[in-house]
Amino acid sequence: MSEKHLVDARGMSCPGPITKLVKTYRTAKNGDIIEVLATDPGFIPDVKAWIEKTGNELLELKEEAGVIRAVIKITAKK
Amino acid sequence: MLLRVIEMSGLAIIMFSGQAENFIPLAVLTQTAVNMNIPVRIFVTGTALPYFTKNKPEPRFSKEFEDMVPALMGGMKKLQMPSWYEILKEAKELGDVKIYACSLMAEVMGLKKEHLDEIVDDIVGAAFFMKESENMKVIFI
Repeated sequence: MSEKHLVDARGMSCPGPITKLVKTYRTAKNGDIIEVLATDPGFIPDVKAWIEKTGNELLELKEEAGVIRAVIKITAKK
Repeated sequence: MLLRVIEMSGLAIIMFSGQAENFIPLAVLTQTAVNMNIPVRIFVTGTALPYFTKNKPEPRFSKEFEDMVPALMGGMKKLQMPSWYEILKEAKELGDVKIYACSLMAEVMGLKKEHLDEIVDDIVGAAFFMKESENMKVIFI
């Protein structure tokens, strides 16, 4: 059964949001969805780079009212 | 292995400077590498070594950086940013990070393993570090 995880990294500065995402990623499994909320201005390029390096799937990435929301589908766990 | 193995074989950081502002990139780069599943090997030497002991001196910023210190400290407090030490320690807990103290500097300063902070893995020589960081990208701070 796939699960949905919420990572609230609002207010955290680099590299905090990615670290928080990675901590959740380690407990997640393929098919799970991780939703990350962040306010760090570097988060958009950072999460894109992380997706590229790890090979997971980015379903959504947008900024609204100063909050960046990334929705990631876990597909690359071995 | 939880993350897919990526191309970069590792990051070697030679931490030479003991100036307070230089510990932030050390911590941030290390934790970022861990997040990207990149192993990190840190060689602590020069004036940085005293900050890796149990009896750390007061942080000292460089002269040209002094004007920026109040704004920097204020900003870090506002962001509730953890200290460089906390970021580095967390990186060690999360990934493949080894911190080595330079044996020459340790000898010169009269430091033994028991004087060093718990985040230091070992006291090693330069040859060991070069072998460990073979094929890694090297950053000198």
